[in-house]
Amino acid sequence: MTKQQSIHDTSIIIVGAGFGGLGMAMRLKEKGVDDFVILERADDVGGAWRDNTYPGVACDVPSHLYSFSYMPKADWSRVFSPGGEIWSYLRDCAKKPGLVPHIHFGAELLKAEWDEASRRWLVETPQGAWRAQYLITATGVLADAHLPKIPGVQGFTGDAFHSACWDHSISLEGKRVGIVGSGASAIQIVPEVAKTASELVVFQRSAPYIVPRPDRAYSSAEKRSFERLPESMDALRSEIFWMGEYMFAQRRAVPAFVAEARDMALGHLADQISDPELRDNLTPNYVIGCKRVLIANNYYPAFNQDHVTLETSALEKVDGSTAIAVSGKEYDLDVLIFATGFEAPEPPVAHVVYGRGGVKLADQWDQGMQAYDSTAVPNFPNMFMVLGPNTGLGHHSMVYMIEAQADYILGALEHAKKHGVEVLEAKPEAEAEYLLDIEKRSKGTVWLDGGCKFWYRDPRSDRLTVLWPDFAYAFRDENGTFHPEGYSETAASTAAE
Amino acid sequence: MKDTDTMMPPLATGVVTRQIEVNGVRVTYHEAGQSNTSCPPIVMVHGSSGTTRGHFGFLFPMLAVRHRVISVDLANPVTGDDPLELEHLEAQVLAVIANAVPDQEITLLGYSLGAAIAGFTAARHPKIVCNLVLLAGWMKTDMQQLLFNRVWHELRALKSPKLDDFTVYGAFGAPFLSSKTFEDLAGGAAMPLDDFVDKQMELNSRIDIVDLVPDITATTLIIACSYDMMVPVHHSRALFGTIENARYAELASGHAVVFERPAEALRLIDLFAANPQEYPAGATLPVVRP
Repeated sequence: MTKQQSIHDTSIIIVGAGFGGLGMAMRLKEKGVDDFVILERADDVGGAWRDNTYPGVACDVPSHLYSFSYMPKADWSRVFSPGGEIWSYLRDCAKKPGLVPHIHFGAELLKAEWDEASRRWLVETPQGAWRAQYLITATGVLADAHLPKIPGVQGFTGDAFHSACWDHSISLEGKRVGIVGSGASAIQIVPEVAKTASELVVFQRSAPYIVPRPDRAYSSAEKRSFERLPESMDALRSEIFWMGEYMFAQRRAVPAFVAEARDMALGHLADQISDPELRDNLTPNYVIGCKRVLIANNYYPAFNQDHVTLETSALEKVDGSTAIAVSGKEYDLDVLIFATGFEAPEPPVAHVVYGRGGVKLADQWDQGMQAYDSTAVPNFPNMFMVLGPNTGLGHHSMVYMIEAQADYILGALEHAKKHGVEVLEAKPEAEAEYLLDIEKRSKGTVWLDGGCKFWYRDPRSDRLTVLWPDFAYAFRDENGTFHPEGYSETAASTAAE
Repeated sequence: MKDTDTMMPPLATGVVTRQIEVNGVRVTYHEAGQSNTSCPPIVMVHGSSGTTRGHFGFLFPMLAVRHRVISVDLANPVTGDDPLELEHLEAQVLAVIANAVPDQEITLLGYSLGAAIAGFTAARHPKIVCNLVLLAGWMKTDMQQLLFNRVWHELRALKSPKLDDFTVYGAFGAPFLSSKTFEDLAGGAAMPLDDFVDKQMELNSRIDIVDLVPDITATTLIIACSYDMMVPVHHSRALFGTIENARYAELASGHAVVFERPAEALRLIDLFAANPQEYPAGATLPVVRP
């Protein structure tokens, strides 16, 4: 019974204290709900913005949109603020509404199990166990580092680390550095590392499309006017939002918009790279938008320096201090940096969550992740996912999606309370219908027809499982409000079996 | 179809472009989207100096994702000094409807001068137009518009190189322009000019459908643009007051809403076309606050 005694009881368990978990918790607090905990595996809040401290880290969405509508910040330093500033914003988001006392740090989710008899979720962490009616996962999409299996990498004689676990104890001054990858993290890291490394080689499997970054610092006068006239911040937020939505016509593969976006990206490349061979090597071979479109003004120019080399094939193996590319070219290196992304198609949380009858979420998702309204999963009663399946955006701010889902989940909790419902579970047929709708929306988008392989799609089923294949506004219009018709309900008075 | 058109990417995936003859003039229209949806097809009418490609380059293909959409490219129906009248343009719209979607009720959408044409048509053909969208529209030209119109005609007569600047100044909202450079505006913003445009601008100076608008029975959505200097918001508000079965929305945009805020306009039109009765007559639609 000692184990029983160590179980903490609460109403709601939120897993994760990044944008998703904090956004959910802020809304609970606002509604006067106080009986919840946030379980965080690390020792601070901030999610991806805590973990990614690599040089040059910044967000690709303007800060006045990439922030909570219910926690505007008048003094963002730049249009695209640096990562450290976003992390500090998230710390404020935990402090100001009084969320900190709810957070348990070092509390990695080891196992979450639905207990049929008590109709409660039992959650184990290194900090103890919790029991709650509701489980809300907010474990992030780009949270767990993906490391490719490279033969010989264990025997690499230099230092090696992932971009999301940057080892700041290692100086890159005068070192020969290899960066594996040319995605969103790599393009921010390369220009910074090029400043100090004696040699830099970038292993590029597939060239990204890159468009100009319309970044600038906000003046103190602008910041003060945002503070004095908050409605001017709202207007800017709306302007950025609708400009972002405009980009969806390109993802929807409208020919003129695909051409416009491609011309913009290739024009940017031509402006910055004059060597025709290098330009060819930096030119993508798929339809723009199929993979994430990146924004940078300083990535291409990095390659105009003599000590920076573009290797146009992937890293195949490592032998001692030598990194060998698929092309056969060999590079002697002191440091290897893996900017190889995250476990997006299969979130690790799926391997530790067990639903009705002990079914593991990862097993139920053996053909890729899926959820009703992108939020709830059959067999996993009273569980809601923030940034679950089909919530990613190829063109817009994830914070907007988080806010929509927080509203949905609040609606579910309020519905259950009002109607005396103890257990809400998504109906399989509702989930199936939702997936058909997602499939219909996906057709004719560049993600399916653009001729690329990317983590937006699940490699097992080839289905688009990560992205929401429509305008962001359509997600909020359709999934920003709870839909009780998609759930089976068990009344609180019904005796447990 | 002009040669320049054939060089351009298609307007939408699966678009079909046809031509018909209306009172001796060839009129082009474009069709795209699914025909098996439950809501009526949308027929679109562009504004002054526009075409489907010029004004509806975003709205046409994106509406076609969920609706059957037909868009008219208005053609010059008059020769010499004969004045252009709304009846001429209404005839082209009706002919396209009769060809593309005969014996069906439709949702008619007009932008700017196209909204005056759409309102005119809806009032006179209530059996055809069951739903109506008036985007930056008006029913009677007033002094503020006349002043703009007179300066426009003067610059045009002088062949002034500043005509483009004047048009851009009027077309785009001040907040939108505040962050732009001349380089940003180069190319895209200039208004194509020809006799037909002159005739449309002349027609714009004497729009008066005040007596007809009360006859509109269609379920109507009026979309106004807060920073519109060509058709300021009070015109949309007057339409809202006049049309019995109307609901109203206002976007933070200039008159060139199809370039400044096309996605926000799309959302309103898409939702209205799918469910025109979602909001009752007299309702002001909530603004999305991202």
